[in-house]
Amino acid sequence: MMFDYDVIIIGGGINGITTAAYLGKAGLKTLVLEERGECGTHCDTSEPGIPGFLHNLQATEKVTGLSPCMSDLELERFGYEITMTDYVWGNTFSDGKNALAGVSIFDTMNNWLKLSPADAEVYTKAMIEGVEDGGWGELHEFMHNFFYKAPKDSGLDDFANLKVMRELVKAKGLDISTHELVNMNGFQACDLLFDSEHIKALLLSGSWVGGFSPVHRQIGVLGTLGFGLAAGAVFPVHNSKGGSHALPHALIKCARNYGVEILSCCPVKKIIIENGRAVGVKLTEHAVYPNQEIRAKKVVSNLSLIPTFKDLVGEEVVGTEMSSKISRFCYEENVVFCVNLALKSAPQFKSAEFDEGIQRCFVGYFGGENSRKMAQFGSSLTSGRIFDDELMANWLVPSLTDPSQAPEGCHTCILWLDAPPTLTNYNGKRLGGFPAWDSIKLGLAGKLIDEFEKYTVGFKNSIIEKFVISPLDIYRNNPSAIKGNWMGGSLIPGQMFADRPLPGITRGGASRTFIKDLYLSNSIHPHNMTWLASGYITACEIAEDMGVREQDWWKGKACRWYEENVDKIPMNLGVR
Amino acid sequence: MKNKEYDVVIIGGGQNGLICSAYLARTGLDVLLLEARHETGGGLDTLEFCGHKYNLHAIYHMMAEVMPAYHDFNLKDKGVRYVYPDVQAAFLNKGQKPLVFYRDPSKTAHYLSSAFSKKDADSFTRMYTDFKEFSEKIVMPLTYVPAMPAMELVQAFDMASDDVGKRYNEMSELTPVEIIEQYGFSKVVKAGLYNLFSMWGLSDYDGVGFLFPLYIYRMLNVALCVGGSHRLSSSLHKVASGMGVKIQDKAEVVKVTMNDGRVNGVVLNDGTEIRAKAVVSTVDPKQNFLSFFDEGQIPDDLTQSAKNWEWEKATFFGTHVALKELPNYIGSDDNKDVNKAMIVFPGIDDIDKVLGHLEEVEGGHLPETPISHVTCTTLFDPLQAPRGYHTCRLETLVPFDCDWDNIKEDYGKKCIDTWKEYAPNIDPLHTLFYPPTYIEKKLKDMVRGSFKQGSYKTFQMGYYRPNNECSQVRTPIEGFYVCGASVNPGGMIIGGGGYIGANIIAEDFGVKKDWEEIESVKRARELGFIIK
Repeated sequence: MMFDYDVIIIGGGINGITTAAYLGKAGLKTLVLEERGECGTHCDTSEPGIPGFLHNLQATEKVTGLSPCMSDLELERFGYEITMTDYVWGNTFSDGKNALAGVSIFDTMNNWLKLSPADAEVYTKAMIEGVEDGGWGELHEFMHNFFYKAPKDSGLDDFANLKVMRELVKAKGLDISTHELVNMNGFQACDLLFDSEHIKALLLSGSWVGGFSPVHRQIGVLGTLGFGLAAGAVFPVHNSKGGSHALPHALIKCARNYGVEILSCCPVKKIIIENGRAVGVKLTEHAVYPNQEIRAKKVVSNLSLIPTFKDLVGEEVVGTEMSSKISRFCYEENVVFCVNLALKSAPQFKSAEFDEGIQRCFVGYFGGENSRKMAQFGSSLTSGRIFDDELMANWLVPSLTDPSQAPEGCHTCILWLDAPPTLTNYNGKRLGGFPAWDSIKLGLAGKLIDEFEKYTVGFKNSIIEKFVISPLDIYRNNPSAIKGNWMGGSLIPGQMFADRPLPGITRGGASRTFIKDLYLSNSIHPHNMTWLASGYITACEIAEDMGVREQDWWKGKACRWYEENVDKIPMNLGVR
Repeated sequence: MKNKEYDVVIIGGGQNGLICSAYLARTGLDVLLLEARHETGGGLDTLEFCGHKYNLHAIYHMMAEVMPAYHDFNLKDKGVRYVYPDVQAAFLNKGQKPLVFYRDPSKTAHYLSSAFSKKDADSFTRMYTDFKEFSEKIVMPLTYVPAMPAMELVQAFDMASDDVGKRYNEMSELTPVEIIEQYGFSKVVKAGLYNLFSMWGLSDYDGVGFLFPLYIYRMLNVALCVGGSHRLSSSLHKVASGMGVKIQDKAEVVKVTMNDGRVNGVVLNDGTEIRAKAVVSTVDPKQNFLSFFDEGQIPDDLTQSAKNWEWEKATFFGTHVALKELPNYIGSDDNKDVNKAMIVFPGIDDIDKVLGHLEEVEGGHLPETPISHVTCTTLFDPLQAPRGYHTCRLETLVPFDCDWDNIKEDYGKKCIDTWKEYAPNIDPLHTLFYPPTYIEKKLKDMVRGSFKQGSYKTFQMGYYRPNNECSQVRTPIEGFYVCGASVNPGGMIIGGGGYIGANIIAEDFGVKKDWEEIESVKRARELGFIIK
């Protein structure tokens, strides 16, 4: 059989281009087909309004610095520049206090000391004895094996066995095993370990932002302790110079450098399956190359589960039983509603008197006053209700890390609300599900701004322009993101770790599917944060299958780049 | 980048900069292209927002596949695909039959004959035949060669073996309105044809009648770039980097440096100095001769002519709309093709009204009733909206000096309301307003929203664009070249400036050009329309 390419990748999102760049660099003839004009849909930076204000329409908070791609693909050489603030994360409260997570564990400690000396001690002891004191190697090994490899059943055990987890339990003087701890949900774990409601709120909100809903057992502990507690000190949370789009830009430059062909405006109509194996694709009649058939030895779908199998493969191939199972894949939880703002000045927080570090937070959370409120918020998400008696949401000010994203002295800001996609109720009114977003979005944006105003001084007066993007708009922008889901499908029990996306879809790894020569780089483990993990795993597995995995340059490890470069990353460039 | 000397540094990554850089790199020269914005493309700017593609600046590609770069770089195989709508333009008026122009002139004549009169149909056929001949034999080839002095051109046309030169000379002396009058159209047809020209802010009194045949002929053969206008620049970018051009964005040039009376590099706004044997600018004359050089450093007449440079008096206000269903126009009962037209003009039935409107705008007044033209790209290219949705844009001729920050929403709504009178089913899902102040903010060479980098008027056209010393790319400043929209042959998506620029610079470097002149230029030389 004649093949045009070794590998075709459908969808030029960051995971698709990551896979392409690795395979291209390993010498495979690789083609990426993108439906939009620009690759990197979720890492979109654009200028929809006043020129000079660059709005990151979806992904803003990036954790790319964690990824082995930083060194393997030499992303810096291809123009990727990371910038940060010294406080990556923070919550501001109506009592005038705030809770912060710094890049330095001592900055975090100093903030927590004002909230609860006991909690500060637990945190500091665990971090120093569990990580600083010889635990880094073990932690990094865990991060690499957990996020950048196909999941294994012992994954959570490895998490529980980490020295830092043992030190955490020890510092608090708890009489439970770390294995019991990781099997809890996020609320239980926080209640057990910490006293301060402010600190619990900080960790719980961090969990949601990381895509790990704290209401679920295991997932909630990974979110609150693995992500919320580690943000800054372990997890690099950062911006990229020029906006989120700089990431796909660098990946594209890298991929092209190694001969990868990337074609835009090329929607795929079908994955061609012959004798039970994927052999190529057919483009739609509207593509730049209408109805073109292109053949390859391997086909990767960087679209999420349902579009891949329901639309591109088709029920005739998948079979009725598998097809109906796939139809039930859940995209419901943790979608986002975004309000992008152009500001005359950076938000001024009332809680800056308590700790001025809040002014420099890259990402923050307001409205989640305590864990009880957080739990109510969690149940509103699962019931399709907007938690509207007191909105809880994120803010991000990308221009604090990178002033080039706004005109001089001005700022950009995003208010980001975790919301249920299928709306049942809002403001006491019954709503008709997902399509109802069009009717409530402007009102909800206004309410979100009003709510944020309570925690700041003169915020509303600083707004010059706003753009409201609902989960429905996100779906319109990217039909693979069903219900606007940015994770490639919800991270819930039954759709996580080795079961992800669903039991029976993947075989012998994370990306190899039940159809021979068809791979997934979306909807698989771990999920679609900007850690370039799924794309990395897919690249590894295809390279193994094609016999090109052994490359002297392909040896990056999670965290290593960040560990070696953290001191060189510019901090607070846009803080005045 | 430091310490290195490039052969050529090009300022500005719009169509001309990209084209010029790609050709020069193809000759083996070491080329650096500097773009002030975070991405290249200039006016080829397509915003993707909530699944819709909004062409914020250029949309109609008048010279699509005519451009030499299209063939020389095989853009067809690099993802640039054009669609040519069958129904090119429709003019709607209440209580009257719509005026519809098809790409196929015989179809237009047939329709004019049935809806208007046999006389209009015959006049149209006569005019179209003339304009096609003028354009293809003369104006289009002249777009891809350096400017010639006006008197020499007139003489060459007169003496050419084909009498089309003489006929073109005679017509060029007339104003656009006089030209239309000559062909004898009825009121509505006259207004429609004239508006196809004046919609670009081209005034009847500026001595640009010589452009009238080209604009009418090409505006009836307009193409849309599949996937949005940015596809063209994106492919040119790919071609240029493939040829070895180093492209740097967020690199704003503030000075051109000289040594011993010769240009030797540029300075960026962050202080970076870059050395080059030649510097090519594709931006406007005021930046070129007033900002990049200090007064006294360059000949006074250059400084003076840049000071006198005039921007366009009219600019555009853009209203970009996402729709759930296509507009259904009032004229579609008479001719259902109205709903399939590439450009729809609501409310244009009288040439005096069009002239009056332009005069009002040029006088700095914001018209009470906006006159817009509307394009629904998704009729021809479903990729420009999410499946099942549509993307429309209204472009409205306006003056620059208004309090746009405060009035943009109200004025945009007014534009939509006026449109709605002709398409009552319009119900925008969301709307983006793009006032002319944004044009200037985004593209620094389009001062006062001047989307052609300077007004089209006799003394800023042809051999005088930007002045008689620089219209042929070389300037009196040794090592400094110009080939942007402010240089002959001018603005719009025509791919002329960068191509001519590359040809001249390649000659000066003495490098081999491996591309051939396009057929129409060769033919025009044979006929004697191009003398050098």
